[in-house]
Amino acid sequence: HPWETVTTAAMQKYPNPMNPSVVGVDVLDRHVDGGGKLHSHRLLSTEWGIPSIVKSLIGTSRTKTYVQEHSVIDPVRKTMELKSSNISFTNLVSVDERLVYKPHPHEPDKTVLTQEAIISVKGVSLSSYLEGLMANTISSNANKGREALEWVIKRLNAEIEEFAASARGTMRNSMAAAAFVEK
Amino acid sequence: MNSVGEACTELKREYDQCFNRWFAEKFLKGESDGDPCGQLFKRYQLCVQKAIKEKDIPIEGLEFMGPSKGKAENSS
Repeated sequence: HPWETVTTAAMQKYPNPMNPSVVGVDVLDRHVDGGGKLHSHRLLSTEWGIPSIVKSLIGTSRTKTYVQEHSVIDPVRKTMELKSSNISFTNLVSVDERLVYKPHPHEPDKTVLTQEAIISVKGVSLSSYLEGLMANTISSNANKGREALEWVIKRLNAEIEEFAASARGTMRNSMAAAAFVEK
Repeated sequence: MNSVGEACTELKREYDQCFNRWFAEKFLKGESDGDPCGQLFKRYQLCVQKAIKEKDIPIEGLEFMGPSKGKAENSS
């Protein structure tokens, strides 16, 4: 898909069926900088489906994990960069991700995504096991992310179709009504 | 999609609609002057900031961060 389509979809990524644990998205800050680039700071709330017995032990307000996302979109150079890191109440594991979307250098109707993740685990002897686990999850998530955007793009196209169809229907109705009145 | 503060969801939706329209129709086409969503954003922001303070969400680097920085997770 062309870069504009992918970028528009990325800004409206949630909700989507591939990321059911994201339950809230908020914009904390947004501004266009001196160079015309749009900066957005967003907060994503995720709910992992913790069993209710655990919830009752730690209190329901603590079952959400939060991800902070900073994105920079340059409409002239056509780049979109997303940096996200999780804000975790435990601070044991932190995951920082960086995604860059750019138009494909040879095929202008396509977009190239580069994605990297930095996983840090503090003071836990299971660290190498956990890191391996998370690395696998993150690489399968990269594919999921692409599928999620495909889904959003289809939905946006369907909404446009629906809007156009109902506009046509409305015009036909009002023309018919006008003809009726003229009689 | 909901907001982190339940009361802010409606304000968020109004702002999102405005932003998504501006983003696709103006910003991506290179016309980034003017911000038709400023007012909606301000109202939505006030609500979100309040919700974040109330829920004690530790966000760094933002001016409205509450006094809860020193609090630590106390469950094992």
